[in-house]
Amino acid sequence: MIVVTREDGKAIVRPAGDSIVAASIPELRTKMRAIVEDGVRELVIDMANVNMVDSSGIGLLISAYNSLRKLGGQMAVINASAEILELFRTMRMHQHFSVSGN
Amino acid sequence: MTNPPGVELEMRRAMPATLGATEEFLADFFRESPALDRANRFAVELLMREVLTNAVVHGCRTDPDKQIRCCLRIKSGRLLIAVEDDGEGFDWRAARAHAVDFSDCSGRGSGLLRIYANRVRYNAVGNAVTLVRCLAGDFLSKKRDVFSGNS
Repeated sequence: MIVVTREDGKAIVRPAGDSIVAASIPELRTKMRAIVEDGVRELVIDMANVNMVDSSGIGLLISAYNSLRKLGGQMAVINASAEILELFRTMRMHQHFSVSGN
Repeated sequence: MTNPPGVELEMRRAMPATLGATEEFLADFFRESPALDRANRFAVELLMREVLTNAVVHGCRTDPDKQIRCCLRIKSGRLLIAVEDDGEGFDWRAARAHAVDFSDCSGRGSGLLRIYANRVRYNAVGNAVTLVRCLAGDFLSKKRDVFSGNS
């Protein structure tokens, strides 16, 4: 189950399961889209329980970032594992939104 | 089934072109595989996910009536992944030459293969790919500059 914690215009999303990959992103995409449509402008993705992100998952995060940026919002990833941090830095994602480890 | 001499693990499977089937295969592989350190475990899973998802989604358009065939082999500290799909293939040379803009939400899969694998080879048609990853040493730091980094 995807867990969302809301506080005014900010939402912290903790994905269900331990992977943000092709098979699991439809549900997460729907949830994130709904959150942004509901007025959230600061989105935090908590990766504390996530061990794997593939290129589909990266695409989802970038799509969310693109949507928020158009609305003047921002996004951050927190509690990423060392391997996911390495992946995100290789993809230059840290140059566009905050990415931090656990 | 016992492996040939010197081969620590070999798995072959033909499966329908669905993400559910590839998830099952991944689970079976990691249940059977020798223990890997964290970095290799992550890299191996990422490589497998990228090639299998490409075969299902792009190669076979997620058509369950089509098949993908995968061979995995761990031998002498190297992992070989070979995947073939029933699709028509794609122009991998053009994909390799295409620079991914940061705002693009797709197109990163083939670049990730080149970062996390020592060798990536496609057949001429582009419906089969073979990857090799050495499971010893750290080569990732030498292979970062695959993406343009443009935004």
